[in-house]
Amino acid sequence: MTEALRRFLAQRRARLGLALVGVLCVMALAAPWLTSHDPTAQLDLVHGRLLPPSAAHPFGTDDLSRDLFSRVLYGARISLTIAVFSVLVSVGIGTAVGLMAGLAGGVVDTLLMRSVDAALAIPRVFLLLVVLALWENVGVAGLIAILGLTSWLDASRIVRAEVLSLKARAFMAAARALGFGSHRLALRHLLPNVAAPVIVAATLGIGQIVLVEAGLSYLGIGVPPPTPSWGSIIADGQRQLAAAPWMATIPGVAIAVTVVGFSLLGDGLRDALDPRTR
Amino acid sequence: MNPLLSVRHLRTSFETNGSIARAVDGVSFDLFPGETLGLVGESGCGKTVTALSILRLVSGPTGHIVKDSVIEYQGTDLLRLPPRELRRIRGAEIAMIFQEPTTSLNPVLTVGTQIAETLRAHTKMDRKGARRRAIELLELVGIPDPESRVDDYPHQLSGGMQQRVMIAMALSCDPKILIADEPTTALDVTIQAQILALLAKLKRRLGMAMILITHDLGIVAGLADRIAVMYGGQIVEQAPTDILFQHPQHPYTEALLKAVPRIDRPTTRLAAIPGMVPRATKWPTGCRFHPRCQHVWERCRVRMPDLLTWSPEQHSRCWLVEEPERRQE
Repeated sequence: MTEALRRFLAQRRARLGLALVGVLCVMALAAPWLTSHDPTAQLDLVHGRLLPPSAAHPFGTDDLSRDLFSRVLYGARISLTIAVFSVLVSVGIGTAVGLMAGLAGGVVDTLLMRSVDAALAIPRVFLLLVVLALWENVGVAGLIAILGLTSWLDASRIVRAEVLSLKARAFMAAARALGFGSHRLALRHLLPNVAAPVIVAATLGIGQIVLVEAGLSYLGIGVPPPTPSWGSIIADGQRQLAAAPWMATIPGVAIAVTVVGFSLLGDGLRDALDPRTR
Repeated sequence: MNPLLSVRHLRTSFETNGSIARAVDGVSFDLFPGETLGLVGESGCGKTVTALSILRLVSGPTGHIVKDSVIEYQGTDLLRLPPRELRRIRGAEIAMIFQEPTTSLNPVLTVGTQIAETLRAHTKMDRKGARRRAIELLELVGIPDPESRVDDYPHQLSGGMQQRVMIAMALSCDPKILIADEPTTALDVTIQAQILALLAKLKRRLGMAMILITHDLGIVAGLADRIAVMYGGQIVEQAPTDILFQHPQHPYTEALLKAVPRIDRPTTRLAAIPGMVPRATKWPTGCRFHPRCQHVWERCRVRMPDLLTWSPEQHSRCWLVEEPERRQE
């Protein structure tokens, strides 16, 4: 593990990714200490609307006189929470399905994998639009569930492919010769071997989900207002683009930084953990 | 004395693009308690498949053991055992070590974890106890500084050390039979000698029976009590080690022995066996060795001999047993 860590830190881009993700996490976790404003409080609807960035409001205020800095910070909280938990859900399901398909083989494998193929044929955004149009006021937990349940397909294919190649390796035959049952084989011998690609896929997945969630909130079917979300701040800011260009730009930059950060982190982890690149 | 393991008419076939490879074709032998049986032959003669068949590890879409085969371990037919019972035999009663230690160990688990896993699969040992036993086992197989080595990953060990770990895993549950499939082929010569000495020592100390599979007669000479020579998926000669070396009956055994370099004889050209090992999808008619045999006559081309009795201890699958006058010098 220490060896992998050394390999990871040796890459400049991986360090950059780690730094970006680190800053984001600090922003999200320490939001209450970084700003004194309530992200949903309308401070002064008469004189405090659409103020440009200043010492009191580093990112300015929005059209309802809410402090944009605190909205972006708390937005990071919401976006990252949704992303991390829905990736946990998707990776959990994907790993379980992939392990099952790869280990069982035969009919089970065919059935599971053809279902995955069928599900992949449905565009995800379209599916999400339909579900969220029917499910009003979905809330954070609901979003996590929906995003998690619609994004495990890739993970299951990665895990299955990995299991198939591991199954043919000599140490699996050796383990069977030592009398391991299929549970022990799957959980103690296969799972640690698929951990690396799963971690990489999960890291890259977080960036993707942040993007999807922002898109949904931008369309007004994600996190319900007044809860701040980067997507909904952009949607509000778009209407004020001429009067207050920072309002849409700043959360946009935050989204870009998040996606780039997690991509760099994921690529770095892949290079550090994948034995083929050693 | 009753045999510990008795294999009868073992046939294992593989289906490969339409044709059937009869890799093991009617193998029968006994293994007695505490005995070492050497299973010798060229690549592709069916040694490894025989070993894998004993533990029923040839399952899969392509390979299967033909129905009327029998593999009896202490009176129970392993081929008719339900999977759950079979898992209790594997590793605990009959253990196996493989040719390539590097690929036979799980790369992402420490060696200690892997030994402990084997123990925990077969005994009620707790995590701590299993770890303690793993350290003892590493010491038993001669790994220096076992207390720190137990936390090493396989890639941190040399090939010889890895094979020692494999041996430790195989021995962890005190098996009655150890199957060693070319245990030293992937190692260099000095390490080879060490591992063989270790196997001999452990076998004496633990009193287990061993099936030693190799293509190298020099290896079995020092270790095996009895040798079965395999050719073309069959056993062609079976005899106690010294008899086999001094008076080989089967022309194939004879040829194999001539192909071993000797330091106690004047230097001569090494005798290679002409021809190639036949393919398992298309064995020759009659005796399977006849296309390469120097004594061959008409009978050999049409009829395959049984494993004929030369003496109570020595059997040879060759018509020369019945017509010794045909032997050409």
